[in-house]
Amino acid sequence: MPEEIKNEIARELASTPIVIYGKGTKSMPRCGFTLETIEFFNRFGYPYEVIDVLENVPKREALSEMTDWPTLPKVFINGKFYGDTDILEPMAASGELKATLEAAFNGAPPSPKQTIDLH
Amino acid sequence: MIADEALRGLIRSELPDAAVTIYDRTGTRDHFNVTVRSHAFLGKSLIEQHQLVYRALKEALADGRVHAVELKTIIAEN
Repeated sequence: MPEEIKNEIARELASTPIVIYGKGTKSMPRCGFTLETIEFFNRFGYPYEVIDVLENVPKREALSEMTDWPTLPKVFINGKFYGDTDILEPMAASGELKATLEAAFNGAPPSPKQTIDLH
Repeated sequence: MIADEALRGLIRSELPDAAVTIYDRTGTRDHFNVTVRSHAFLGKSLIEQHQLVYRALKEALADGRVHAVELKTIIAEN
């Protein structure tokens, strides 16, 4: 794995607790599974980052090699790999994910969603 | 695009005892719901169980025969 890509991924994982490598962006997902993962995390109210790697083949390969996981999206929480919603849904159902997220965000409760009053 | 039997064969190459259920989500034979039941999952975390199946599907995913998989693993207890 090229050192440069490895360092880039390490920087991204250190920048914020929840990192989703996917196809497309938060505002314009380009894959049903990436959209599903965005909607999944919207339920929890914690901030997260979506990093688009659709066109970046070397980075996709580096990520797959790192995780032994060939598909996108790939979710990391506090730098640890958690697969995709096939893993996260059962973790959410058991309450394990709530505990993991609370630990990742130092117990801070989810911040309320900002609403803009258009009237 | 891949036939059920070929997909099942790939999974069994890694997990010979696997009972595999396949559902073609889109009718295009490249987006699947796959359920795999195997003794090999015993003692493994959910993520490790999925990694075992993905190891078997790595090439089919890389060359596009399989585009996406929604995966469920079940530990065979007996």
